[in-house]
Amino acid sequence: MSIPGPTSPLALSLRGVSKAFGPVQALRDVSFDCREGETHALVGENGSGKSTLLAIASGFVAPDAGTVEIGRRRLRRGSPAEARRLRLGIAYQTYSHVLDLSVAENLYLAVPRNVQPRFGRIEEWAAARLGEFKLDVPVTALTGSLSLAQRQLLEVVKALLARPGVLLLDEPTTALGPQDVEWLHSLVLEQSSAGVAIVYVSHRLPEVLGIADRITVLRDGVSQGTFEAAAMSEDALVALMLGRPLQLAFPERHHVESQAEALLAVSGLQGERFGPIDLIVRKGEILGIAGAEGNGQVQFLRALAGVERATGSVSCNGSQLDTTSPLGPLRAGVVLLSADRARESLFPVLSVRANTTIQVLRSLGRFGVLRRGRERRVVDDLAQRLRIRMASIEQPVQSLSGGNQQKVSLTRPFLRGDVNVILAEEPTQAVDVGARFDIYEALRAKTNEGIAAIVKSSDPLELSGLCDRVIVMSRGKIIEEIRGDELSERRIVEAIVGSGAPATRASAGEARTR
Amino acid sequence: MKLRAWIPLALMTTLIVAVGAYAAARQEAFLSEYNLRNLLLATMPLALVALGQTTALLVGGFDVSVAALMTMSLVTASFTMQPGSSWLVLTLGAFALVGVGLATGVFNATLIQLLRLPSIIATIGTLSVLTGASLLLRDHPQGPINSDVIDVLKTSVGFVPLAFVGVIVLGVLGDLWLYRTRPGLAVRAVGLDETSSRRLGMATGRVVFLSFVVCSVMASVAGFYLAAEVQIGSPIIGNHALESIAAAVLGGASLAGGKGSFVGTLLAAFFLTLIGNVLPLFQQPTEYAEVTIGALILLALVLYEAPELVARFRSGQHDRRARTRHGEAPAG
Repeated sequence: MSIPGPTSPLALSLRGVSKAFGPVQALRDVSFDCREGETHALVGENGSGKSTLLAIASGFVAPDAGTVEIGRRRLRRGSPAEARRLRLGIAYQTYSHVLDLSVAENLYLAVPRNVQPRFGRIEEWAAARLGEFKLDVPVTALTGSLSLAQRQLLEVVKALLARPGVLLLDEPTTALGPQDVEWLHSLVLEQSSAGVAIVYVSHRLPEVLGIADRITVLRDGVSQGTFEAAAMSEDALVALMLGRPLQLAFPERHHVESQAEALLAVSGLQGERFGPIDLIVRKGEILGIAGAEGNGQVQFLRALAGVERATGSVSCNGSQLDTTSPLGPLRAGVVLLSADRARESLFPVLSVRANTTIQVLRSLGRFGVLRRGRERRVVDDLAQRLRIRMASIEQPVQSLSGGNQQKVSLTRPFLRGDVNVILAEEPTQAVDVGARFDIYEALRAKTNEGIAAIVKSSDPLELSGLCDRVIVMSRGKIIEEIRGDELSERRIVEAIVGSGAPATRASAGEARTR
Repeated sequence: MKLRAWIPLALMTTLIVAVGAYAAARQEAFLSEYNLRNLLLATMPLALVALGQTTALLVGGFDVSVAALMTMSLVTASFTMQPGSSWLVLTLGAFALVGVGLATGVFNATLIQLLRLPSIIATIGTLSVLTGASLLLRDHPQGPINSDVIDVLKTSVGFVPLAFVGVIVLGVLGDLWLYRTRPGLAVRAVGLDETSSRRLGMATGRVVFLSFVVCSVMASVAGFYLAAEVQIGSPIIGNHALESIAAAVLGGASLAGGKGSFVGTLLAAFFLTLIGNVLPLFQQPTEYAEVTIGALILLALVLYEAPELVARFRSGQHDRRARTRHGEAPAG
């Protein structure tokens, strides 16, 4: 690899870029550039602003402040079409495929008009293009019928079809096996030696260190600096990615005996994006699920709640759990707290009172008529216990802050006497720091009653502080299990970013059979 | 076009042939030149408005205001195309009709594309406005339409009105455009997945905007044939909005956008008109037509979805919306 000198012209340059989504400041005064022939990696934790930076560079999102120049030409705000004209290609993490169109049609739409073949010949043309990139995918197949790995490779090829001068790759290897990763990396090398400026976003530090010339680290939307890759180590990068000024207090751990009674037993559970997974969760335990986004953690958690389809077996308290619909787990006391509170957990326009008691109305009534006084007492009690901040229990849930909304959805497991397992998906996402502690405490208090909780979170600090045990998932499988004294934020992050390394993957089977 | 796209065309053709053959066998009058010509002419308003509705459905929208717009066009025609006017005035009057359509289209498209209102809500609003305006202009049926214009609109060779040939040509060209050209593919892509289309640098806003303008213009052109049929400026004319959606959907359009066929829409529009035409031949009350049409729509929809249902059953796929949401979980 020829390392481009500092004299190579800038192909992409972002200056002083800021962007807020509602109350969340996704990027704060970030500057970033990429020279011709250079591979510049962008790393950071989930939610550190990497994808937002790419969205701004590609014109998909307009920044609140700052400028974008592609090949020394300034990009008009929020126009992906113009970015394309300026010869910028991007492979999106969540792809840009129209799933109901064929592979050939998708490829056709991905290239500018002057490169497009006659419409009647798109299939031959598409086959020829795919051949150039040595990608073996049927051109007449519907894109939706491809495997996730094929879709990801196709996304990269689409970005390259227009022969871009700047290529942005957003987590291009999340769905890929080792062979495909190798294919992709040889492609990246080929392109950069041809003078293409490549921005490479990835969680996987070994991959990044292997392929990048320079590395920029983002943390909480702020750049932590740009470094020569040759002078960096995984340790140094992890330290830069973490390093939070604020340390959170966590509730004291309940000491779970490893002989404690098993509550939830998962065996050979397998779904579209995860598995097979074997797992045992014990009474009084909080189990954490970690991993880079999109590695099947969400799907696994939701499969336990019967919301995502899966095969395999799950038993709770010794009896088989019917996970073909949400009803089975609900009846068995396995409750899901969705990350999408507004759409899946709460009735945003209803009051705190109504949202709290909706699952237990029967127990609050007499002869089918609700006893309001009793209902109010129950809700008041819980609101106090969970420290829900609101004007009154009649306030609509949508007018509460994110943290207080989450507390409202947490009241439900408290009200039901028959809860066995709480499945919490990102329980503190968009929740302010003060409310986080209340939520941790509520979860811990509830598990101390002898139930179990499984927490899926993209925040390693939270997992290390809250959980008794953390499993790390990659490509749908459990690759590590961290417990006891080993459990730390750093250890979790290392497991996540190291998940591209073959050494770690070899230990996967061991972790599962433990 | 894939298998799913051919099912509606095949089903509609079969039903037309079946109903037609049955009617011809039972009633000699059915195949008379007079009846066939009337049948084709009666198809015209629905055919035209349904073609427009198909373009709105293709980009994932609805246009409920088309019926009110057709009435508005009819009422406008009763002012601008009166008996005894010179051809110059009549030509200008015709432009006025199309102008009403164009203005309504731009209005709808602005509400939907720039103000981001859901199309069904936006067009319900427009429907009310146009209905009220029509009633203000004509509070009862009044103002005959110029009969020379009607004769021109109804010009036929044998039993085939030239205009009917026109819409068929339009439908075929439309389908060729939709399935054999780049802009057609782009329209379908926008209807199927707006986010991906925007990521691919397509002018999604412009596509949606134009589709709604085309829809309204087609509805106002349908107004001409409504005028030829009713022949007087009536503010209270039947509901073509639901019928136009029914025709488009029977013809293969998907309510979720991105799928549809103009030829299919035309066949379905003809079929719907045919049912209404055939039942009176047997002295059946028209209520039967309504029931039959409703049942057939439901049946057809189940049949159209069959390949997908089978595929879903086979691969054990789960709710697609859930999958999309998780595919889009942001990171980084």
